[in-house]
Amino acid sequence: MKKLTLALSAIAAAFSASAHADITVSGSANVAYLSTAASSDAEKLAVGSIASFALSTTTDTGLGISASLALSADYDTDTAAGVDGGKAVTFSTGGTSIVVGDVGVNDTIGSIGGVVNGPLDDQSGVSSNVATGFGAAADDDGLGVSFSTAMGAATLSIDYIANTAANNFGVLNPDSGESAMGASISVPMGAYTVTVGVADNDNGSSAAGGTVAAALGSGTLTVGYSNQTIDNGDSTLLSTTGDTTSAGATYSMSMDGATTIAVGYNSNKDADSDAASKMELSIERSLGGGASVYLDMVNLSGDAATDGTALGFGTAVSF
Amino acid sequence: MFKSLWILFFLLISLISIQSCSKGPLGGDHAANMAKLDKLYGPCNNPHRKIIGRDARMLCEDKERAAGPSGKTTNPISITSFAQNFNNGGVGSNYQGLAINPFLWQASLGILDQYPLKIVDSQGGFISTEWIMENNSPNQRCNIKVTINSQELVSNGVKVKLICQKKTDDTWYNESTSYTSEENDLTLKILETAIQIKVENELS
Repeated sequence: MKKLTLALSAIAAAFSASAHADITVSGSANVAYLSTAASSDAEKLAVGSIASFALSTTTDTGLGISASLALSADYDTDTAAGVDGGKAVTFSTGGTSIVVGDVGVNDTIGSIGGVVNGPLDDQSGVSSNVATGFGAAADDDGLGVSFSTAMGAATLSIDYIANTAANNFGVLNPDSGESAMGASISVPMGAYTVTVGVADNDNGSSAAGGTVAAALGSGTLTVGYSNQTIDNGDSTLLSTTGDTTSAGATYSMSMDGATTIAVGYNSNKDADSDAASKMELSIERSLGGGASVYLDMVNLSGDAATDGTALGFGTAVSF
Repeated sequence: MFKSLWILFFLLISLISIQSCSKGPLGGDHAANMAKLDKLYGPCNNPHRKIIGRDARMLCEDKERAAGPSGKTTNPISITSFAQNFNNGGVGSNYQGLAINPFLWQASLGILDQYPLKIVDSQGGFISTEWIMENNSPNQRCNIKVTINSQELVSNGVKVKLICQKKTDDTWYNESTSYTSEENDLTLKILETAIQIKVENELS
């Protein structure tokens, strides 16, 4: 019998990876009713859909190469459908992923509290006076390289943007342009996962922060802190260059096999001493078959152009 | 100068990484780590997953939301497979009367043809060998059962089971030994052969 099993193993030992190229199509749609915080015309209906084409192949040596682009009608603008993506190519192995082209750096790392996504996240109508990130005029994405690898159980990412004014074609390190870089690492430590990161734009803005996430009860608790140094020349919200500090937390839990509830809180303050607090709530229920219904709420208070509460409910569908 | 050094650094690291198939230059399994971070933060908020572009983020968030707590969503449609099936005149579907993938079926038959076959059910996708015995182990025997349960050439479309018995006092008893490793190896060999047959079929 041992001989037989050895023979079987010998047959299988001849196994080797084979090249495999593929083009797949998937998509999504979102329909939502929004009661925004705007002082007039507060009620809105948002409808959008996306068809995404994913292109991939695997070389004989096991190197994965992929790209994607999408056709979409955005749910937050009343414009014709357009094409997006296709400006980056990813090379991946089991140990490393490298993205070349349109990449980004996280200029608000550690600033958490957002649990609402989709139409209400884009069109809640609330608008804070607190400056965040690299500032509105500075880019946190552009033409560059993003590298992510494993270090044992930890994951390290390093991003470099050589030209924030370009995405898939442009000058590397333009004389009059901006570049940016960022790095982050996530390390599991027992029941906790700690993520810390830094980002820097050569216009003078920078950011540093971190989060700690852990399973708590039947959900996941994440707390975070971020410090962002923003040049007032890059933000219309600032009169002086200085630091924005942000602290927040989120908690997400599954109520049953189909329902998820998530709450988030974030408080931040900038160099002008503008301060605001934001609370978010999201309840989602899966209907099966790739569809779900959801109820979202966003509340902003403090120094804000528009504060108040916005609500939204709708359905998200995956095709 | 500083920027150029950064580019050189990235190129160097990239070269090293591309040469490493399953592990990063610093050790560890990146894909496994990312899967854990996806579960913790959600795929759209994983700090190491680069989701650039508004549409990519919309798609990710919609899919994550639609999936619910299970994380299961609809499978993408493979245009490549569709085109290949069309070009092959329907090979890969049940066009030819097979309810199972013909490449997996051919591969399974080819690998097991060195043993006497007891059951060959092309409609049910089941093959079973006779008891296989070795001259130097007259008190042990095994048979191999292969089940194909998919019309697609997918990794979970074929299952292999080894059943072995030992003879004691002229009576055969099932062994409690598990042959998981051999079963997995044989499954991989069937998959590899099926892919080769498919490629040869496409080139011919």
